[in-house]
Amino acid sequence: MKLHRLWGLFLRYYYNLLRSYDRLTDMFFWPVVDLLMWGLTSQYLVKTGALNNNIVLALLGGIILWIFPWRGQYEITVSLLEDLWNRNLVNLFATPVKFIEWITTLMLIGIIKAAVSFAFASMVAILLYQTNIYTLGLKLLPWAGLLIVFGWVFGLLVSGIILRYGTKIQTLAWTAIHLISPFVGVYYSISTLPAWAQRVAAYVPASYVFEAMRSEIAGNPVPLSALLAPFLLCVFYLVIALYLLIRSYDHILKRGLISVE
Amino acid sequence: MPILEVKNLTKTFKSTPIIKGISFDVAEGEILGILGPNGAGKTTTLQMLLGILTPTSGSISIFGKDVATNKSNILESVNFSSTYVDMPWRLSVKENLTWSSYLYMIPDRKKRLKQIMELFRLEKIWNLPVAALSAGQKTRVNLARSMVNYPRLLLLDEPTASLDPEVASYMREFFARQREAYNKSIILTSHNMSEVEELCDRVLILKDGLVFDVDTPANLAKKIEDCYLSLRLTKNASKLDELIRRRKLVITVNEGITRIEIKEKMLPLFLYELTKLNIQYSEISIDKPNLEDYFMKVAKDKSL
Repeated sequence: MKLHRLWGLFLRYYYNLLRSYDRLTDMFFWPVVDLLMWGLTSQYLVKTGALNNNIVLALLGGIILWIFPWRGQYEITVSLLEDLWNRNLVNLFATPVKFIEWITTLMLIGIIKAAVSFAFASMVAILLYQTNIYTLGLKLLPWAGLLIVFGWVFGLLVSGIILRYGTKIQTLAWTAIHLISPFVGVYYSISTLPAWAQRVAAYVPASYVFEAMRSEIAGNPVPLSALLAPFLLCVFYLVIALYLLIRSYDHILKRGLISVE
Repeated sequence: MPILEVKNLTKTFKSTPIIKGISFDVAEGEILGILGPNGAGKTTTLQMLLGILTPTSGSISIFGKDVATNKSNILESVNFSSTYVDMPWRLSVKENLTWSSYLYMIPDRKKRLKQIMELFRLEKIWNLPVAALSAGQKTRVNLARSMVNYPRLLLLDEPTASLDPEVASYMREFFARQREAYNKSIILTSHNMSEVEELCDRVLILKDGLVFDVDTPANLAKKIEDCYLSLRLTKNASKLDELIRRRKLVITVNEGITRIEIKEKMLPLFLYELTKLNIQYSEISIDKPNLEDYFMKVAKDKSL
């Protein structure tokens, strides 16, 4: 991998972001919409006595942490789509750029955008609901790390599917990560799921982070070492997703990059 | 030593052979034109040269290295431009050239970008988004982008399509100068035969996925034996009819001009006969075959 090429690719997406008000606003828009909706709902429930402040923090914390897998996936898949819409894949890969450099850039941009969205959403939560996710401390960092890798897994898988089958299934670029969200338990404990769904959730690394966050808020901190197994599982998924994406890329090279556009 | 060597290259899509074992090479400083009817496999070949389409079999070596295993390294010194490939349309010309430039190792990037801006006369559109450009301006920016890394080998897919005649002519001169000054090799596909004749040292004719012919434009044109003799007859026209019948030639008459299709080597004798028969004319012109005639013959003739 060459740094100057990563920088060139970064500039390409950075310039595009500056000139795309839709991409710029969706970094802030959806987290704020979710926060407004869930924040107001939970405030209402607090007033009726149905919720306490810890549950509000768990709900809003769930919304804010969900930004990481969402952005991790979204950045990879929507950037791929933009290159397809722009008929720019040929321009990209008829250069010294390696496929892995392109993927790496998209992953890194996902981290930056997720961090910006996270910072913004957490500030909104503080300002509107006096709910401070930073009280959870430095554990937020490894949690965020695992969640973003989880997002990448979906981003890579969906990109592989789009590369193979083209833009006719582009809806997946925006929605794929939400298909797994019932098993992640963003807003509720995994124990509320039916038994079969709990078994599925056991293989969903992100579910451990949200469980750990709720435990932490309830005053029962979960040691970081408990996240090691789900993290390794996530890395395992990442390797498989990367392998499948590279297989898809090799497959479209047999058809020609122009054909996928 | 050739800068590019293609050996027995084939490409099959879903059991349909598109390229059926072609071999050719390009020398340093040479401009090779690839011509062929639509569907002959020109773009497919260019894609394989760039490593964005995997060949079914055969080998491509550029600068003595195999493209299949050294793609990234090779493409540091290769670039391409195609009217069929777009750039990110929200980005300005300057932004597009800037990010593209970082994909290559370029010593003085700022200076190079300024140079490119001047060479391709991009000053007025430098800060405009690509979406706001005309088709011709986009082509010019695409060509500019293809020069950013000082390529030793340049692949141009219809480089002057959609350019106005003045800019197209400037571009042709530009590429000819680039070859002379820096010994660049260029492979170009074009439907503009006069452009190919003007620029190319050799022309490779692709037909049905096979190399039909490779030669200089002049030699290819010479393979057409027939030329056209046009006369405005003033005396003894009936004797000409007799001569035409005897020689079994084809003529057409349009607005007083008699056009005779005749083998080029027969022309001196035919002109001598006209004089001998006292067939007089006030105007004469001889249209010798050119590359376009050859191309048309190749494209039309199904038996070839």
